[in-house]
Amino acid sequence: MTQATITFEDVQADGDKKVKIVKITGQLDESNVDEEAKKIYAVIEEAGTGLNLIFDLGELEYMNSKSIGYLTDWYSKISADGGKVVVAQAKSNIVDILQVVGLTQLITTYPSIEEAKLAVM
Amino acid sequence: MTDQNQVPAAQPQPQQAQPAAAAPQAAPAPAPVAPAKDESKEPVEVTIILPTSAYFLSGIRDFTLTMTKNMTGFSEQWAYRFQSVVDELCNNAIEHGSAKGENVTITFVNVPDESLEVIIEDTGTGSSKYSAEQMNNLVKERISMMHGQYLGLRGRGLPKIVAEWTDELLFEDKKEGGLRVRVKKYLRGKEDKVSSGKDDPTHVQL
Repeated sequence: MTQATITFEDVQADGDKKVKIVKITGQLDESNVDEEAKKIYAVIEEAGTGLNLIFDLGELEYMNSKSIGYLTDWYSKISADGGKVVVAQAKSNIVDILQVVGLTQLITTYPSIEEAKLAVM
Repeated sequence: MTDQNQVPAAQPQPQQAQPAAAAPQAAPAPAPVAPAKDESKEPVEVTIILPTSAYFLSGIRDFTLTMTKNMTGFSEQWAYRFQSVVDELCNNAIEHGSAKGENVTITFVNVPDESLEVIIEDTGTGSSKYSAEQMNNLVKERISMMHGQYLGLRGRGLPKIVAEWTDELLFEDKKEGGLRVRVKKYLRGKEDKVSSGKDDPTHVQL
């Protein structure tokens, strides 16, 4: 199975704003994406409304079309509950694939975590 | 193809065209010389047979990336794009085309500095039996479905990644059963090619 890890970090934010950094490393493909996606769905479920997610993709080497489908689904759920989803630090090949499927029209990509934080806080 | 890569047509050499000074009679005309074969332009074909399992996909992606970067003349950006194209097609073949215990065949045909073709074949024993005609229609349907904002979980691989990043996409029914998918990308624009460094003002050629 291809290696991927997902870790979560809470970000201090003003008021009752909920902001988390979701760091994904390795490669997301058919062999692991369904299992890894469950971890993110669990965090979204647990947080309820108003969750803001910063996907730190600085160490993500590959994502397939199914993982892009999941990212779109997380965006839909979080947006519907009044939150925001952004991507930070993605490598050029990851930005390229997000662009070709049209996802960068929905989810903004930022070169740094600091800029992504400013966008959601 | 750049001019510098073109093979010059065979030219009669001046010393061959002139009668030899010491010989009183005209020398016989030189035999026609066939143009020199440029072996660097010969197609390179690599075939890999995989068991039907997603476990092997990362290895195929690594191979695609390395081969495209080092052998084809395509840029690094295109090497990553082919990695995705091959991954999506192999995954379709594993998921739908070949049953467990069978295999998927991947063939790369590269004409250096001209094109890269990838041919993926399944055995038609998998969970979904689609004909080539059905697959061609499916791709057309999905391409039209993707106009505007598509929020679905599945269905982006063929219409967005494979179709957008290749020049030709063709499904064929195999005589012995199963599908053959051919995708081809031509190396045309300067932006598609690996940088030689010649246009980079910071690049020093020794």
